[in-house]
Amino acid sequence: MKAGKKTFSRREFLQGAALVATAMVANACTTPTPEVVREEVEVTRLVEVAGTPVVEQVVVTATPPPVVKGEAPAVLGVLPRSETLIADILTGRVGSPSNFNEWVGWKNRDRGMQTLANEPLWTVDFATGEIINGSADGDPIYNDDFTEMTIKLRQGTTWSDGEPFTSADLVFTVETLMKYEGFNATSFFNENVDTVSATDDYTVVFKLKQPNSRFHTTFLDRWGCTWVMPKHIFEKVEDPVTFEFNPFVGTGPYKLHSFDPAGFWTIWEKREDWDKSPTGILFGEPVPKYIVYQNFANEGAKILAQLTHQADVVNLSSDGLKALLAQSKTSRAYQPTFPWVVNNDPCITGITYNTARPPFDNVDVRWALTLAIDIVDYLAIAMDGTATMSPVHVPHLGAYPKDYIEPMQDWLKELTVDVGNGETFAVYDPDAPKRVVEYAKGRGYTFPEDPESVAKAFGLGWYKYAPDIAEKLLVKNGFTRDADGKWLLPDGKPWKIAFMTETDMTHPGVRNGMAAVQQWKKFGIDAEHYPTEAQANLISIGDFDVSQSWPAQEPWGAGPDLYRVLNYYNSEYVKPLGDTTNGHPSRWSSPEMDAIIKRLRETDPTDYAAVVAVGTEGLKEAVRQMPGTPTFGYVGFVGWDQYYWTNWPGSENAYTQPYTHWGPFKYMTPFLKPTGA
Amino acid sequence: MAFIRRYLIPRLIQYFLVIFLGITAVFFIPRLIPNDPVQRTLQEMKARGSFLDPGTMDEIIADLTEMYGLEGSWGEQYLAFWGRFVRGDFGVSFFQFPTPVNKLIGIALPWTLGLLLVTTLLSWTLGNIIGGLAGYFSRRGWSHALDTVAMIVRPLPYYIFAFALLLLLAYVVRWFPVSGGYGLGRTVALNWGFIKDVLWHSVLPALSLIILGGAVNFQTMKLIVQNVNAENFVQYAKLGGVTEDRIVSKYVIRNALLPQITGLALSLGQIFSGALITEIVFSYPGLGSLLYHAIVNGDYNLIMGITVFSIFAITTAILIVDLLYPIFDPRVRYT
Amino acid sequence: MKVLRDLFKDYRFALSFCVLVVLVIMALLSFFSPYDPTLWGVVPRDLEPSWEHWLGTDSNGQDIFWQATFAVRNSLIISLIAGLVSRLIAIIVGMIAGYKGGTTDRVLMFISDSLLVIPLFLIMVMLSMLVRQFMNLAVLGLMLSIFGWAWDARLIRSVILSLREREFTQTAILSGTGTLRLVLNEYMPFAMPLIFSTLINNMSWAIGLEITLAILGLVKMSIPTLGTMLNWAITYQAILLMRWWWVGTPVVLSVFLFIALYWMSVSISEYLDPRTRIQRVGAQ
Repeated sequence: MKAGKKTFSRREFLQGAALVATAMVANACTTPTPEVVREEVEVTRLVEVAGTPVVEQVVVTATPPPVVKGEAPAVLGVLPRSETLIADILTGRVGSPSNFNEWVGWKNRDRGMQTLANEPLWTVDFATGEIINGSADGDPIYNDDFTEMTIKLRQGTTWSDGEPFTSADLVFTVETLMKYEGFNATSFFNENVDTVSATDDYTVVFKLKQPNSRFHTTFLDRWGCTWVMPKHIFEKVEDPVTFEFNPFVGTGPYKLHSFDPAGFWTIWEKREDWDKSPTGILFGEPVPKYIVYQNFANEGAKILAQLTHQADVVNLSSDGLKALLAQSKTSRAYQPTFPWVVNNDPCITGITYNTARPPFDNVDVRWALTLAIDIVDYLAIAMDGTATMSPVHVPHLGAYPKDYIEPMQDWLKELTVDVGNGETFAVYDPDAPKRVVEYAKGRGYTFPEDPESVAKAFGLGWYKYAPDIAEKLLVKNGFTRDADGKWLLPDGKPWKIAFMTETDMTHPGVRNGMAAVQQWKKFGIDAEHYPTEAQANLISIGDFDVSQSWPAQEPWGAGPDLYRVLNYYNSEYVKPLGDTTNGHPSRWSSPEMDAIIKRLRETDPTDYAAVVAVGTEGLKEAVRQMPGTPTFGYVGFVGWDQYYWTNWPGSENAYTQPYTHWGPFKYMTPFLKPTGA
Repeated sequence: MAFIRRYLIPRLIQYFLVIFLGITAVFFIPRLIPNDPVQRTLQEMKARGSFLDPGTMDEIIADLTEMYGLEGSWGEQYLAFWGRFVRGDFGVSFFQFPTPVNKLIGIALPWTLGLLLVTTLLSWTLGNIIGGLAGYFSRRGWSHALDTVAMIVRPLPYYIFAFALLLLLAYVVRWFPVSGGYGLGRTVALNWGFIKDVLWHSVLPALSLIILGGAVNFQTMKLIVQNVNAENFVQYAKLGGVTEDRIVSKYVIRNALLPQITGLALSLGQIFSGALITEIVFSYPGLGSLLYHAIVNGDYNLIMGITVFSIFAITTAILIVDLLYPIFDPRVRYT
Repeated sequence: MKVLRDLFKDYRFALSFCVLVVLVIMALLSFFSPYDPTLWGVVPRDLEPSWEHWLGTDSNGQDIFWQATFAVRNSLIISLIAGLVSRLIAIIVGMIAGYKGGTTDRVLMFISDSLLVIPLFLIMVMLSMLVRQFMNLAVLGLMLSIFGWAWDARLIRSVILSLREREFTQTAILSGTGTLRLVLNEYMPFAMPLIFSTLINNMSWAIGLEITLAILGLVKMSIPTLGTMLNWAITYQAILLMRWWWVGTPVVLSVFLFIALYWMSVSISEYLDPRTRIQRVGAQ
């Protein structure tokens, strides 16, 4: 053997190791601390003037775009980087990449179909609370008893292959959905629609089988809705259920460019005739020529991609966002300062109790569990304080504070629970947000502390941390403590709670679970976090104690109408344990809530004041009975890289909602600005 | 003839029996988990924003159950499965409805095969050669040094090792891409540009697998060779003046190879399970994540499709090794 | 005692013994931990190592040093259970199959092949999903041991197969040695190095698999082990947030653990093999 050869390779190895070590040390020394620069920057904004959106130049205080150049490749794959926007797919790798038939099953529509290429009839933008007319031209028109609905369609738009968009497409869509089994919406349309017809090229009339004042919401895009099929393509197809609909054709401003058969990316290209799409007509020409939706299989790679400018906007976790901001000089979050997070997702997170299983069938027990929670510690564990708390079953965002939460403050302050022996206790604590501010300052974060900013970032108040009152409530109902201080059920057995969640440790629902378990452990209950893949099944058949399910169904895009929230508690959907329930997983209902639901159903959805009044009654009933404890609004963590694109809709310039996976993203595209890098 | 009658036929029967048992086990086990695919689909649809009207939920469930072929008892489903299996049809995936399972596997398989075949063979060959030499020359300094390196590399959690590689070579120095099997927007075609792109994207995942696999093979082989080295016949050969080259190749390595060949066969057979963590860290396409998501989603058909491949591969690998034993070790006889 | 003295003459044994002693002391220290490992927020978060918190604190608000003591203890227990139980099964099955041959061999190999053939990963994931609620150390150890013996049983069987045909076997049988004595006294020394290297393989495989399962989230996260500590660190992006003390602790500990085990097994198996012992320790 040639011994000389072996020693050579050893030396080579040592050299390589030294190189590697130096590189790592060098990198460690150059990590910047997170910098928040606030300057006056010119931004473009969307303003409503006399009913039509108008573009306006404003000067806003925001984080400016960077000046560093030459850091990233000019071409990525086959696309010119400065004309391409790269976003990360929220919902993961696409399972069936060549199938764009969104009417059947789930086809990852947030990979561009819903966000760029399809224009629904109406879209709700939860950042502004507005309903935007897409392919429809105005509100739906109902007759007096809500059995007939007329829709006027927008004129002058075409499909991305050039064919004109007319009422024939909508009629064809509804008829096809009703005719074939296997579509998602088949049952809904067959139950509700008697006939559908086009009275002219741009008017469609529906005759309904029974009064339904909210029938039109099936076409209202909040996060999915019923889309319109292009008749000229689908009518030639034998079986529209298995038809792949490749390439996707829609009336949105982008068309399909290419996709990865393995499901990792989908690329969309701006239509040349973008002015024939509603987005183009309303807001102007979209700026990025190509938009890519890419899947990164793990968060670390995602962050590295953004750090090397191979991605422009990514969805992260709480710590992922912190890591991104710490390492990148050009990235920013939705809010320019702490708490950084996107807090206007219209979903309230929290704890859901299985009210069909003792001891959670007792409202005192549910209140005791709620009062045993220290909301500051809870938010610290769950989100490091970066969440907006809400004491009612809608989140603190959009118009909800003005319409519901602020008007309810007095009622909340007077709300009491009966502790027994004639004693009552006022449960509401309006100072909770201040304590969260103290915690955040203690962690070293700086942020504006005026009352308005604090309310917007952290909420208006929550329930008091009162473990002694919780104890009294439990004792009143026969619970006792053993020698170690652990709680025992009225029948003497140790009280064990298994908090069921899904398995993704960064999901806000799971974080709720982890935080709640810690609170209850401190209180003396043998509580445990139980993540499982089977949670969907177990929750639907009611085989759980406490779960992360949203304590209330989410409303449509933060509109004032809470019908969807409250109807979920309808007693006619509650089934016995072991059967799949169709309503809220808590299986709770009450005659009072049923009455409120009935009143809401009979209220005209466009009568703002009336809707809010009934909605408030519903929220009060939910708070009194606590089928689930609401904690904080859903938190999203979005990182924007300003190396190639700027003028993102941050919280200081929220001209539209911030996500790239929601429908209104297409309305953001005309306002982005290239930096010239 | 006696060989065929006394050994081969029973062995082949065993081969088919094992496959049958494996397939049956894989059929029933997922159904034992309380992870109902219909419920998961509904959950997914709700989470993804489809508004499922509570009033029509029952019909939706019935429709889904029928589409997935989950009606009837397990026995009926089992027989239906074998009926489709003999026609090579694994049915359609639940979660990527209505894509057929064969198509999904067809897309992922070339990536897994390409990456894992190359890395398994390379790490086995390199690890065994270097390990064999290190075992034979176990007193030399370089042998100790390599052993130390292998010893430090091996226990590193693979995720950390792979991610550190990614961090180092795709971020600290920007030599390789951060993710993917090939570049954005490229079409799959057999031209040089595409192949170059694929190779460039595969360096990091391959490197992580080869280094780790090589370290394992290195250490095992070194240990075995050290023991063989100490055997009498090797000492005699040295004293008898046989050249070192001959001793190493003809005496030491051949004897040490037998358990290693078994190991190689099993590794090759396990290719079809994919390399899940590699695929996660490098966002690389392949069977590993396909299988994992299938399990988590209760996608029975897809689970069956992938694992049937896997079962066939491993069993066949073991069969071949068993039949070829006597070639490698003349002392083993099957009569 | 003489045995130990001889063993200590090998530097590898001495070093690994010390490392293992340190790790065992760490594991025992866990009984004196001032913090309950399942409670969060007991100390301020994300502190660097200091005199108050020797290895710093993590993002859950736990002291890393005391967590690590529990992690070492639990990982050791899991891998011991997994390794020992699976060795036992592998030895029994491999020896019987290798020696008896014939139908016994085929049946045993049939069972072991079936276990090899069913993709381990699939079963692991599904088993974890099933037992997640009552998962504890013993359950996890047993789970890992069920799948650790099949491969090694085959290896042992192949050794026995070649030994069976050797001359000394014929000699022993002719001179009236019973099967059990033959197997135990004559074959074991040949198999011992293999068994030890497979024990170490298996223990490190068990630790590695536990870490893999933990990273995929399939292990009960509230039990501190090397794997779950690592998973928490990864989930909270400790690497990119430069929190090296949190990621580094489980990695360094598992490297030390493995190296110690490896050196110990190598030196013990060299000692047991009479020829190499004489070479190193000197003729006595």
